[in-house]
Amino acid sequence: MEVVLAARGITKRFPGVLALDRVDLEVPGGEIHAVLGQNGAGKTTLMNVLFGLVQPDEGALFLHGRRVEFRSPHDALTHGIGMVHQTRRLVAAHTVLENIVLGHPRVRGVLSLRDARVEVAALCRRYGVGLDLGARVWQLSEGERQWVEILKALYRGARVLILDEPTSVLTPPEAAALLAGLQAMVRGEGVTALLVTHKLPTVMSACDRVTVLRAGRVVGRLRTAEATEDLLVRYMVGRDVAPGPAGPSGAPGRRVLEVEDLACLGDRGVAALRGVSFALREGEILGIAGVAGNGQEELAQVLAGLRPATAGRVRLDGRDITRLPPVARWALGVGYIPAERTEVASIGAFSLVDNTALTYHFDPAYVRRGLLDDAGLARLTRRIIDGFDVKVPHPYARARQLSGGNLQKMILGRVLSRAPRVLIAHLPTQGLDVEATAFVRAQLREAAAGGAAVVLISEDLDEIVALGDWVAPIYEGRFVAWLGREQADPETVGAMMAGRRREWAAAR
Amino acid sequence: MGCGPVRLGRHELTLEPRQAPPAGYTVLTAVAAIVAALALASVLFLSADASPAAAYRAIFSYAFLNPHGLAATVHRSIYLLFCTYAFLVPLRAGLWNIGLPGQVYAGGLAAFAVPLLLWREPPGAPAPAVVIALMIAAAAAAGAAAGGIAGVLRARFQVNEILVTMMLNSILFWVVAYMVKEGGPFMGATAEGESFTLPAPLRAPLWWGVPFTAAAALGAAALLDLLFARAALGYRIRAFGESPAAARYGGVNPAATSLLVFLLGGAFAGLAGYHNFAAIPGVYKIPGNYGYYGDLGFYGMISALIARGSALGAVPIAFLFGGLSLGARFAQGALRLPFGVDYALLGLLMMTFIGSHVLQAFRVVWRRRAAAAPEAVVGGLPGA
Repeated sequence: MEVVLAARGITKRFPGVLALDRVDLEVPGGEIHAVLGQNGAGKTTLMNVLFGLVQPDEGALFLHGRRVEFRSPHDALTHGIGMVHQTRRLVAAHTVLENIVLGHPRVRGVLSLRDARVEVAALCRRYGVGLDLGARVWQLSEGERQWVEILKALYRGARVLILDEPTSVLTPPEAAALLAGLQAMVRGEGVTALLVTHKLPTVMSACDRVTVLRAGRVVGRLRTAEATEDLLVRYMVGRDVAPGPAGPSGAPGRRVLEVEDLACLGDRGVAALRGVSFALREGEILGIAGVAGNGQEELAQVLAGLRPATAGRVRLDGRDITRLPPVARWALGVGYIPAERTEVASIGAFSLVDNTALTYHFDPAYVRRGLLDDAGLARLTRRIIDGFDVKVPHPYARARQLSGGNLQKMILGRVLSRAPRVLIAHLPTQGLDVEATAFVRAQLREAAAGGAAVVLISEDLDEIVALGDWVAPIYEGRFVAWLGREQADPETVGAMMAGRRREWAAAR
Repeated sequence: MGCGPVRLGRHELTLEPRQAPPAGYTVLTAVAAIVAALALASVLFLSADASPAAAYRAIFSYAFLNPHGLAATVHRSIYLLFCTYAFLVPLRAGLWNIGLPGQVYAGGLAAFAVPLLLWREPPGAPAPAVVIALMIAAAAAAGAAAGGIAGVLRARFQVNEILVTMMLNSILFWVVAYMVKEGGPFMGATAEGESFTLPAPLRAPLWWGVPFTAAAALGAAALLDLLFARAALGYRIRAFGESPAAARYGGVNPAATSLLVFLLGGAFAGLAGYHNFAAIPGVYKIPGNYGYYGDLGFYGMISALIARGSALGAVPIAFLFGGLSLGARFAQGALRLPFGVDYALLGLLMMTFIGSHVLQAFRVVWRRRAAAAPEAVVGGLPGA
């Protein structure tokens, strides 16, 4: 099969970092090719080089065997290379058609939406995409938005599609549909797709070949037919990752957290949580499974004191904390790991020591006569860095210099260093690589084993099922069911996340 | 980073983020900014047919060498410093206190209200030290109250503090106008549109010709820098300023923080009002052109921004601004320069200072472009 796109000897240096080290990549036409690697392996830089966003220091690109040079994304687009970014770049208030047409070189002056509609509709038919071209983008699901981006690239004449972590924000059914659609497109229409991902199941189920990057170098090139997940993990990590301990997380003890009929409003003033009740004992992990926007984030915020409850009660070790402010809850032993690592859980411009102070500035052990105990905080930060294997030059590095995985380890370490009675973890492994994910999960288990009650909120069914002693699928602000470990198989929970209620679901 | 390389033949020019600025570099860029502003301002003097050398000699010798000028420079820089703190404290919490003039007026009025109510000519006079202490406290409290209005509205209802403080400036300007000009109780006996003159015993004590407020201003700078570098309270304010969401997550009370910084900032502006109207030798009244001093307070904003939130760092900057504003006024009269030369000079200085921050955060890199790429490799890659 002809090699459509090739990169030879690509090297890219950023200040202090060798992002890509003589990377060779060959993408045969009519296939889905995966670029696999952990966070910081150089995947995104490589994609940016292929799309003309970043100029390599050394090396060259070849399209159909001919040398090409992309000085900007515009050059890449005119050569038929399109990119679908991880974050959507669409105008929410415009229609699907308007978004697809936007930026096309032909619509500089006069916009003929009628002609464009005919062409785009033909494109949809050809690639088997069912989209309402008149719908406003804000009305679409995340999966449909992804298709808008893909169609936009195809409409501009792209024959090679680069997709950056295309399944990261999709629900499992949406992700499956996307990958099936891509496969049909590639097999039937000769489009070539390059998928950047760190998700092994995506690679194994949908891709033909895979190039594995580690620390800026190519460490493996395989056909997926000849690969196994274990083998790919070894390439990515450079060694074996021990699977986390399975089984119940220990004998449960006293009741720690009691939640009664809890309700609250969302940001737009409509009910987000509509009466949730549960109780957790020491050592128990509750996995709350749900598609984003079903009240799980609001639940976490109400428990942490960041959002007022409109009804119901929260008790910690028997004490009513429903009306307590966040600072009092931290002091009493509520630990919260929010999903937004960079916006909420850390301050990028602050040093790691100052970030540690975020949950210690009120603690008498670290404040003397109104002054923060800098030396003590620095020692504590160093302990977290060592204990949680955070890769950082020194404790006074800025938080924004840390990669996603290292930052999450830092946040986790800081929250766990307070030895919380209740730990609320919202999407704790989102966007993390295999190694960091395994580490975070093991730490959650260890926290439970140490006597904490853990509330794990996740969209990853495997994670929920693997960790949860109890599993509660959440849908439209209510628990659909309360399942024990043995009842919670991914299919059942997945169906309940989508709103399908089971009659036998017993509430506790 | 936003800007790509500029290509010139085989070379390219880029701005790259500077990891850690070398020691002394900050001072170097500040000096460069001053020199650049003075060079640019020469054009102004040349266009007015004045020799730049003569103009600068007049400006600097009056502001920093002439005994009268130097004293005025010191008095004015104390005033600017208090205004700097008034802006700096809310700024560290990410809030913009544009209400410096209004809070200064409030402080000045409150300071004069105390003798109006309490002072009797001897015999039966209260102890002057007590009255002076009350004047200072009243000025700080009135400034805090004026700032607190914006703080409460921000904390409770998320009202934009910039709009509130700006509107309060206007309101308080006219309150002062009523009090000292339009028949209000503060009018002086001469009816010249100024307030009554402070009785001699109530004038701020002088140490070597300088009012005690100088020590207060310098002490406050040290305390503020300590607050923000070490104290838990300062940490909360900084965290809130960097990221309100993260600070809230960490248990910082957003409403209390917004209110606190405006109370504290307003109190500093109130003290600026006390100093300017009740402590500077030869003044001791709210003059008819009080609006000029109110507007001058905005240079406190500039000082705080240039010093990047460091109170001690603002001391030399406020001194420079104080001196140049007086020196340029003097030169304007002495050399018959066009009106507004002082403002133009300060404006240029402001711009070059802000520009110098770019050089502090980035360095200009000039280098040869990468060598040509290797030719295509013929043949497949292993495993492909």
